[in-house]
Amino acid sequence: MQQQPQAQPSPSPKPKKKIRVPRVVNGVEQMVEIEVDADAGPGWGPNDKHKLLNHRMTRVDGPLKVSGAARYTYDQRLPGMLYARILRSPHAHARVTKIDLEAASKIPGVKGIIPAPLMEVRFAGAPVAAVAATTPEIADDAVRAIKVSYEVLPHVVHAHMAIRPDAPKVIAEENNLQEKGKNGDPEKAEAAFANADAIVEGEYITQRIHHACLETHGMVVDYRGGDSATIYASTQGTFTIPADAAKELELPESAVTASVEHMGGGFGSKFGIGLEGFLACRLSKQTKSPVKLMFTRYDEFVMAGNRSGSWQKLKAGVKNDGTIVAMKATQYRLGGLGPGSQAGQPYIYRMGDTYREVYALHTNEDSSVAMRAPGHPQASFAVESLVDELAYKIKMDPVAFRKKNLRDEVYHRQLERGAQEIGWSRRNPVAGGNPGPLKRGMGCAIGIWGGGGNDQCKVAVTISRDGSVLVAVGTQDLGTGTRTYTRAIVAEELGLTIKDVKERIGNSKLGAANPSGGSTTAASLSPSVKDAAIKARMLVAERVAPLLGNPKPEEVVFADGKVSAKGQSLTWQQAAAALPAAGITSHGEWRADLQARGVHGVCFAEVEVDVETGHVKPIKMVHIQDGGLPLNRLTMESQINGGMIQSLGMTLWEGRVMDAQLGMMLNPGFGDYKLPGSLEMPEMVPIIDDDDKREAVIGIAEGCIIPAGGALANAVFNATGVRVRELPITPDKILMGLMNTTVLSRG
Amino acid sequence: MTKSRDDREAQKQTDHDPGRRRFLKGVGIVGAGAAIADHLWIEAEAEQEAKTQQPLSGNVKVVLDVNGQQREAQVEPRTTLLNTLRNHLDPAVTGPKLVCDMGTCGACTVLLDGKPVYSCLVLAVDATNKKITTVEGLGTPENPNAVQAAFVENDALMCGFCTPGFVTTISAYLKKNPNPSLAEVREACKGNFCRCGTYPRVFEAALAAAKGSQA
Repeated sequence: MQQQPQAQPSPSPKPKKKIRVPRVVNGVEQMVEIEVDADAGPGWGPNDKHKLLNHRMTRVDGPLKVSGAARYTYDQRLPGMLYARILRSPHAHARVTKIDLEAASKIPGVKGIIPAPLMEVRFAGAPVAAVAATTPEIADDAVRAIKVSYEVLPHVVHAHMAIRPDAPKVIAEENNLQEKGKNGDPEKAEAAFANADAIVEGEYITQRIHHACLETHGMVVDYRGGDSATIYASTQGTFTIPADAAKELELPESAVTASVEHMGGGFGSKFGIGLEGFLACRLSKQTKSPVKLMFTRYDEFVMAGNRSGSWQKLKAGVKNDGTIVAMKATQYRLGGLGPGSQAGQPYIYRMGDTYREVYALHTNEDSSVAMRAPGHPQASFAVESLVDELAYKIKMDPVAFRKKNLRDEVYHRQLERGAQEIGWSRRNPVAGGNPGPLKRGMGCAIGIWGGGGNDQCKVAVTISRDGSVLVAVGTQDLGTGTRTYTRAIVAEELGLTIKDVKERIGNSKLGAANPSGGSTTAASLSPSVKDAAIKARMLVAERVAPLLGNPKPEEVVFADGKVSAKGQSLTWQQAAAALPAAGITSHGEWRADLQARGVHGVCFAEVEVDVETGHVKPIKMVHIQDGGLPLNRLTMESQINGGMIQSLGMTLWEGRVMDAQLGMMLNPGFGDYKLPGSLEMPEMVPIIDDDDKREAVIGIAEGCIIPAGGALANAVFNATGVRVRELPITPDKILMGLMNTTVLSRG
Repeated sequence: MTKSRDDREAQKQTDHDPGRRRFLKGVGIVGAGAAIADHLWIEAEAEQEAKTQQPLSGNVKVVLDVNGQQREAQVEPRTTLLNTLRNHLDPAVTGPKLVCDMGTCGACTVLLDGKPVYSCLVLAVDATNKKITTVEGLGTPENPNAVQAAFVENDALMCGFCTPGFVTTISAYLKKNPNPSLAEVREACKGNFCRCGTYPRVFEAALAAAKGSQA
């Protein structure tokens, strides 16, 4: 935090070049052009020559987290703090005509109430009032005591009903169906179907699923009516908090500090202060007390956002040699009140002449928000199912068929590796062809993501005369291992161990950092950390040069806790003692050459389906992921596992269930919303693709959640001969499918 | 309260657990409904007992034995043990996490006389005269127990919000079964949810901790 300006290596004007980088706004990447140094400086070196990076490092915050000592936003408790709760509309579409606060305000312990303006609510769960009380229990009482009158309006919550011309309008002045773009030549694509030997046409549907962050959305607003405030937020963007909070508290932005020590999961849903933040700030301002507003689990399901659903009508034609010649797609993004997201078809594949039209189809549901690889798992499931169907149709091996229609050699390599790991040769090429009621099958799919960084991170490395090293930047660790690699980069550069460096993150008074969305954190942060570490090393080298026979700074070697040159050596402590009394601080900037963009992933899955019950048991999953320089192999594997598991949940179990009549969610809790659990876990094999020799950091979190859905669905087909085109793949759909196939009669 | 609904043996034990019966008398807490639906006959028994006892109301003083220390708080009778630990003890005990508040996720797991329970389904007034052990009582960052050390070593955590629950559950389970199979570990963890996707490494950590303790 105390950053001393220090003499930096001479800032002579450097040649510049322009590049395009991703910036994350509300969890979604937008490409912007920036200027960077053309000639940047020392690189990472070969991926297999690192002392700490690309090794298996345990998390530096692990000991705190396993012992309950890590302090999360939800764990903040301040003197005089009030607990807030939100009252929500039970109607999917209504006009609020009256809010009676009298009874609620008389309850002892209730300190503040904020009614919403009398307005139209457009989804069940929309906030109508918020209260703050001395305990959460009293806040619950107060919410129950508020009386609201509604004029109920017609609603629609299911896409197939919302698309009808006579459907109730979600927003009075707009059509439920909004065109979002067309791409390609429809007539050319239609004509190309004439060249196909086989055609597959299908409708693919993915459900709306929930982030289900275990730490719900929310914050503690510590404002007592003075001239400054601190916001403890559960957020993916430390720096997305102060501006909005300051506006609401009527303070200058610089008077508001955001703090994010540890946070319990975001997956794309936690950017900005959100509506809950505005309410918490207003309650804090009204009561002149710190206010904690954390969503209840119900709140989290009905208002914290979700992954948009999709409805995709696809048609593709293929030649008998395996070449896909044409594809047409109609894609509906099902984002409730929001626009939703969906990657354009045919996604990664080459399909000859293609045409797509994309629409947003609105319903009376809360808006979807970004979720890990926004729009990609939806598109991937549909196109990977389609590709699989085409392969079976012309009796070609699905792996060979994919290779035929993918130009990028990386996928070829990864498909071969995956086939070997899962034991593809054991697979019965005849779908549903295995004997007995427990049928095994295998499938595969591929994914793509950017994962590049941008220039938002400013990192400070401070070395004190006692040898202590501190790396400071305001970024946040979502459980991705940010703290660990931040330390490791500095330790490696200075020839120290990871224990010799301390990190300070998660505070908006520290150096700026980008919000963690779109897998941009590692590729934005680590180049800035590396740059700061290199500059710190040079500052130390200059200082100790007289003690080592005056070598040039770049000739001084930092390794194994020693600082050496010209055959002489100092311990780290001796070297640090040569620094000025205040120590040294270096400031790191982002360097484009230390990161890259573009990752590939391939997933293979094996399942066992009980054709008497329709139950799907995942047996084994393999995911191969490239990502340039793996900063930490241990945590990268954990992230790959996490991607597979979240995708598994989406494919087999999870899904929001909406009641058409009531317009409300029927399963807003973990008792009814089926998350993946310990009993369902297959054998999981996370593989880092070390054939990727790029000496650059690239984010991988999104990449590894994309392909598993298609791989699992295709495995189910291989096992049973049933093509389930709608997620989740529940037993009823498999049994219905079996009724329409000849598998049982053959079996 | 016992997390395994299918575990007949455990269920038999809880039938004689006064905490369970008295909990079901508690009014107004979210999640009681599901438990009652499963155990209607217990409810009837509880009602019978209720006629012979004075109801508690207003703020009551509770003295809790938390990690070997006597801790006092003033709470309403409806206040859960979880909320008492987190919101009423000073300093707070925040290792157990509030995630679902209705007995479905396991993040608030604590040990009551050595047995894992969801502390969001226990009333503080029912937890007096019992030894309460939270994840903080199992080990510290500097002195972790075998399970905590194995979680760090095997990277059995990401965001870490479910971790205290898993650590507590597994620590208790390994006392009962020091040499479990993978299948038994999965079974032991089935009352705990993780969203980041750490399960495979949670299993590895549990098996490693068991192996380490035996050596």
